[in-house]
Amino acid sequence: MTRMDNDMTRMDMDMNKDVKGMDDALKNALRRQEAPDGFAARVLARVAQQDSPQKPVHRDSWLTFLTQPIVRWAALAAFATAMILGVHVYNVRRERAEGEAAKQRLMLALRVAGSKLQLARAKVNEMNANQTRNRQVKE
Amino acid sequence: MAERIPAEQSAEISENDIADSDFAEIVRRHQSAVFSIALHFLADRSAAEELAQDVFLQLHANLSTLKSEDHMKFWLRKVTAHRCIDYKRRRKPPQVSLDDAPEPVAPSHSSDPLLERRLQQLVASLPEKPRLVVILRYQEDMRAEDIADVLAMPLATVKSHLQRSLAMLREKVTRAIGEVTI
Repeated sequence: MTRMDNDMTRMDMDMNKDVKGMDDALKNALRRQEAPDGFAARVLARVAQQDSPQKPVHRDSWLTFLTQPIVRWAALAAFATAMILGVHVYNVRRERAEGEAAKQRLMLALRVAGSKLQLARAKVNEMNANQTRNRQVKE
Repeated sequence: MAERIPAEQSAEISENDIADSDFAEIVRRHQSAVFSIALHFLADRSAAEELAQDVFLQLHANLSTLKSEDHMKFWLRKVTAHRCIDYKRRRKPPQVSLDDAPEPVAPSHSSDPLLERRLQQLVASLPEKPRLVVILRYQEDMRAEDIADVLAMPLATVKSHLQRSLAMLREKVTRAIGEVTI
């Protein structure tokens, strides 16, 4: 074996040693660490918290909210305001409908009166025309 | 994607066995692995604990779907890995690539704790996927095939990540620590 071959073999061995050394160093640096104290207990507490029913609490909070006096008074006031507004709107609509009906009746009456007047004027004109004709015949 | 369970299947346990077993005992059995993956990935103890707790909460919700102890181990590694990546992406931390990682002043002699600490920092500065590959390989002692299954990536990619990460780590460590026997 030449001197160069010897050198190459030594270099290969050094490289393999480096790779092995790096592997060991990484395994050492990345070895498992213990989880913090009480880790499992905290996980179990979160599991228990997650499993506990949430909806009844929500409903309870709603009921509690509704039993507060201020909320009840506010609801009563809102109901009364709605009633007053409803009656007012009903009255306005009724008055408007009555006004509309009266207007229709007045228009009908005016139309009837107009046609009567037309007839009367035609009669008067006819009588005037007859009188004039009779006077001319006498003369 | 369908979950492939690693080839190294050992003791098969029934669904009922898992469902009936004490969840606290399951947590104690796996907490170190899950916490360590998160810790080595995030380099932040409180964030790692929060993430590990979330993983176990998810495990509790999915216990009935796990068919064996190995399946559970595979599932935990997979979920932890994905949650680590999600966590990093949500938080958008300042990304420091390995090349930009600050070099410490190289002491003439180094002790093992110093080398360990430096290696942990360098691993934590790797890009997300290669970092997970290195953590799963060296912390969990997983084979490249199993890492490929857990991370749902081609085997060639896993091997490439490992090779490149190791080359970079070696170069950085040598430059940072100096002439030490590793």
